Amino acid sequence: MLSLSSLISKASSLIDPNILPPSLLNQVNGTNNDGQTPAVLFRSNFRLPDSENPLAVIPCELSLPTGEHYFGRLHLSESFLCFSSSAPSSATGTNSSSSSAAGPPSCGFTLPLVAIRRVERLHSRSYLFALAVTTWHNDQKLTLQFNSLRSTCEKFCEALKKNLRSQMSEMKNLRMLVGSCYSEWLVTGGKSKDGVKEEPDAGLGMVWRYPGDLKKLRDRSKMRLWAEYLRENGRNITLIRQPTFHKLIRVGLPNRLRGEIWELTSGSLYGRLFNPTLYTDTLTEFSGRHSLSIDEIEKDLNRSLPEYPGFQSEEGIGRLRRVLSAYSWRNPDIGYCQAMNIVVAALLIYMSETQAFFLLSTLCDRLVPGYYSQTMYGTLLDQRVFESLVEKTMPILWEHLVKADVQLSVVSLPWFLSLFINSMPLVFAFRVLDVFFLEGPKVLFQVGLAILRINGEELLDVTDDGAFISCLKNYFLRLDESAHPRSDNEKLRAVTRFQELMVVAFREFSGITEQTITDQRTRHKDSVLSSIESFAKRTTLRNLGPESKRLSTNDLGYIYDRFYKVLYERQERLAAIELEKERLNEKKVMSSGRSISEKSINEKGRIGLGPSSQLMDYDYFREFLAGVAKWAIADSPSQLFSPSLGGSLDPQWGGNARKKSINLSPWGDNAEPADHEFMHRLFRRWDTDYRSGLSLQDVVAGLAGIKGKKDIMESISYFFELYDDDGDGRVDREGILRISEALLFITRRGWETPSHIGEQNRGGEGKGGTDPFLGSVSGFIRRCFEYADPDQQGKQEEVSTGVEGMDELVDLLDLASDDEDGESVKSPVKEKGPMKDKDEELEGKSSLDLDANTKPSAMSANIALDPANPLHITLPTFRMIVLADEVLEYFFETGFADSIVLSTDGSKTPGGRNMSIGASAFGNLGGGGIAGAKGLRGVLDNIVNDGMRVAQEVRRRMDEAQKELERNAVPGKYKEDEEDEGDAKSIMEGDRDLLKGAEASVVDDTAKLAIKTGLPDDDGASGTLLGSPTSSLATTHVGEELRTPTTPMPTRVEFEMDK
Amino acid sequence: MAEGPKPSSSVKLVLLGEAAVGKSSLVLRFVNDDFQENREPTIGAAFLTQKCSLPNRTIKFEIWDTAGQERFASLAPMYYRNAQSALVVYDLTKASSLAKAKHWVAELQRQASPGIVIALVGNKLDLTNQSTGLEGSMGGLSLSNAAGDGDDDEEEEGDARQITTAEAKSYADEEGLLFFETSAKTGHNVQEVFTAIANAIPESTLKTRGGPGSGRAGGGATDTFGGSGGVNLSAVGETNKDGCAC
Repeated sequence: MLSLSSLISKASSLIDPNILPPSLLNQVNGTNNDGQTPAVLFRSNFRLPDSENPLAVIPCELSLPTGEHYFGRLHLSESFLCFSSSAPSSATGTNSSSSSAAGPPSCGFTLPLVAIRRVERLHSRSYLFALAVTTWHNDQKLTLQFNSLRSTCEKFCEALKKNLRSQMSEMKNLRMLVGSCYSEWLVTGGKSKDGVKEEPDAGLGMVWRYPGDLKKLRDRSKMRLWAEYLRENGRNITLIRQPTFHKLIRVGLPNRLRGEIWELTSGSLYGRLFNPTLYTDTLTEFSGRHSLSIDEIEKDLNRSLPEYPGFQSEEGIGRLRRVLSAYSWRNPDIGYCQAMNIVVAALLIYMSETQAFFLLSTLCDRLVPGYYSQTMYGTLLDQRVFESLVEKTMPILWEHLVKADVQLSVVSLPWFLSLFINSMPLVFAFRVLDVFFLEGPKVLFQVGLAILRINGEELLDVTDDGAFISCLKNYFLRLDESAHPRSDNEKLRAVTRFQELMVVAFREFSGITEQTITDQRTRHKDSVLSSIESFAKRTTLRNLGPESKRLSTNDLGYIYDRFYKVLYERQERLAAIELEKERLNEKKVMSSGRSISEKSINEKGRIGLGPSSQLMDYDYFREFLAGVAKWAIADSPSQLFSPSLGGSLDPQWGGNARKKSINLSPWGDNAEPADHEFMHRLFRRWDTDYRSGLSLQDVVAGLAGIKGKKDIMESISYFFELYDDDGDGRVDREGILRISEALLFITRRGWETPSHIGEQNRGGEGKGGTDPFLGSVSGFIRRCFEYADPDQQGKQEEVSTGVEGMDELVDLLDLASDDEDGESVKSPVKEKGPMKDKDEELEGKSSLDLDANTKPSAMSANIALDPANPLHITLPTFRMIVLADEVLEYFFETGFADSIVLSTDGSKTPGGRNMSIGASAFGNLGGGGIAGAKGLRGVLDNIVNDGMRVAQEVRRRMDEAQKELERNAVPGKYKEDEEDEGDAKSIMEGDRDLLKGAEASVVDDTAKLAIKTGLPDDDGASGTLLGSPTSSLATTHVGEELRTPTTPMPTRVEFEMDK
Repeated sequence: MAEGPKPSSSVKLVLLGEAAVGKSSLVLRFVNDDFQENREPTIGAAFLTQKCSLPNRTIKFEIWDTAGQERFASLAPMYYRNAQSALVVYDLTKASSLAKAKHWVAELQRQASPGIVIALVGNKLDLTNQSTGLEGSMGGLSLSNAAGDGDDDEEEEGDARQITTAEAKSYADEEGLLFFETSAKTGHNVQEVFTAIANAIPESTLKTRGGPGSGRAGGGATDTFGGSGGVNLSAVGETNKDGCAC
């Protein structure tokens, strides 16, 4: 036992934390850096696909068939076995000065489990635990000697065994992949069991030549060296990276192997291994489809490396088109960005379409994240990082550039964005790429810094952008010249400027590590994103379309902020909940060998990062509304979420609702929004493109529709249209009830009325005892039914009123000016009365005939409520009814618009001041009802009378241009009329019983609003329709029960008879 | 400073406009009197200079040719910073490109140096049927009969024009922009655009440069830096802090 522990300590002493790559170090220390979880670091370290997670790790010694030994760590993930050495420890390990420290681990492998043919346990001395691994390419046998506690070793082996088994199915893919690799062909000479194979596709260069002079590039000798290396150390998927590997890359890859080594070092090879048909499938799936990206790609196809002959041919253009299109379909968030065409064109010279497709994905996802995104935040961020590195490493030059007002990024941005491809001559750009794919993004920075360092002296003389640019342009053109043309030393003279550049980049700037870049990116990220966002906001607000002009700039800014805040916060929240759910699930099913997979929450939540989803579904919309309108907040947070009415809406939180174990509310810390039919209607109305989602523009236009209305008529029309489902200008019975529901819903928390409004409604006794709005709404319903048109006659009547209206108009105009006189006010109404009466009489009779035996006669008394008689109100009627009531009028004039609070002032924030008013009105509803009813009585009579007059007016004109006149007529309606009240009462008394009957029978179940009411029986002779509703209204006790209990719906309003 | 035989001043000019409307081609025509069919798209921006000789002075244009693709828009402020003049280019044969141009005009008017001289340029005149007819007669500003043609017979053979002269012209007048229709391919009107801009730059902006809006116009380059470097320093620091985005 003693010897074992000593061995462990010896092994761990060999693992010098200073030599470990920083990313690994974090992993060891378990530190989380900038949201880079150990899993992320693990994946980026070994270039693994995103599906891989570190499952087990063990210190071990690797012995290669070639005789080298390396100490390091062996990692296991779902489908990979990876090794990275901690230090070059082998006796034969050549001193790799250039690739030490900052470079990748000197030895390592990333072995897909499927490429392992067999694993044997070696029976050596008892305290040693060793495995012999035979890989796909038979000639290779690796020995792995574990340096850990026996139980740990056993555990590791168990997990390995399990994962090996599960990977068996991938064997077919492996064969396909290996067959397409040039290295395979190179080593086997194209001969296999199936006979001689064709040379695999190694890019357009095979046909149109590779750039550069083969002799100068020493391509043949490079190829020989590579063939030797591949024979000894495995190839493609089984390749082991020894120090020589890095050196071979540093001197430049041979043309035909270049593509494959790029794939291998970047890790895109593994994407191809596991998704062998993704590329072709994508092309098939989207063939013939169009998108903005496709258009943009087409524009640039002829202008991508146009000087390369391959891209003057249909073949080359075709390849480029297919790769770019396939990627734009696969990743629509990025789509297509100029510069991608140049990069892909360059890749295609050395690799097949499929290879280029996967390498492009790896580039965009991992190597240069955010470079090509919609906002290009990655590009801008790396420019900031580069600037700060220049400032740090070359302070004098930096100071000079600042003084001369030369903006560095104007030259460096294209370097990064197109990976030097259109800055340097191609041959050299490819050399940079060789190292870039091996060592990652830091290479771009190192090379960029080296360029400035080498040209430092000259740049210090430069005084403007132009000179700065041309100085560097000249430098790039002379990269193949000698760096020291006047040197006496022949060897020194042979060093080209490019070689010098590489040496400076990787030796002098070896201190720039992956970690440096990560740290710097984190440091500058926020300011870069903010500036992108302020730019984006400015631009977006300017382009919101004509509707937006109706809102103030402040309001627009507020909507913009609020929209994205809700959008991103909610996305994040849902992702977190999803993750939590997954965790819980995994805990349940977790088996011994498998740790909880670490799915990082995708970074979202910033406009600067580019679009994820820019649409709000109904639930987002609710959350949005709840933030701007207090009526959109649920009265009491529900425990159980009812499934959304929309059906197609976010299934995610429907699922969460059922899982109560999650303590995360889908609304986060915000108040839970209400869910009311009215909000549905708003959502649908705003969703102009029928996408089941609202864009910012939709929301702005929607809000402009409410808040931007300058005119009460528009506002009334807006509301009416919300309920006119089929757009035929009519709202039916159901719609009327829903409108009243909505009115009560919106005002249920109280709303601001100027003190004088509603006074009349309260009358002498009201004294703030009751909510004037409730009275108004009950009056509204009554009047709606009163003035509704039966569906059948609707058209005829419209025509007839149209004609007759002409004669009466003159009459009315006179009357309007004479509203002191109660009788004359009435007269036009009476004129109108009989005519309408006839229609309704007919209706009434027919319904009597039908129902005479089965239903009490009360039914026929109230035609309006008889479901057998469909009816509707038209916009003019609706207007008339609204304008007849001061409270409603005020509501549509300003109240509705004001109920949505945007930027303006703090005092009006939702849930703020108004709440208390609302609450008090609310609390009094129960008790204050009776007192209120009495006071209402007389007032309502007059309102109805005058309302009718207004109705006629509206009906006759049917013309919005006449609004002014209508409004002039309104003031007359508040006159007391005692006589009328008396009449009404007497009729009322006599009909009490009938009304009771009606109360019992006419309860519309389908409507959530229950209205128990009745109208006096119309004998066909006595009371005119004009008289009867008035009377019933007069005695209708507006006994209200406005309940908004546990569930936000339904709001229940009951109208009961008094006495 | 302006005492020399013919004073020479530098003017920073930026080109903006939708992708593939011919911004780079216009510059290439102006600078090298050349035209290339398939030019690589501009990545980030390109920088070129060219002199423009006026009767009483010489203007040296420092031209910033920007990338047109929508997503590069956030880089634009980096390039139009301190610009004294701008060419906002659209494609006569593509309706959407004028909308984009209007957007750029609005952006410049609000964000760029005050007093910036903006020229609205409709390019690819060679693709319309006016490519030959009106040569020479167009000072760029008097196209009333051409406008008539465009209005009435847009569908005429060989005419890919989608934006009438009248439409663009009235917009340019409204916003106080110089207006030209050009062809980078034939070279039609290209020189005129730059000359008009050179003429429109008020002499005062060339001489007095204290504010951050000033370029390095005027006499010797060394003078410029001695004079305005100190002033600019703080401004540059500011701009850099904000990153290149805005």
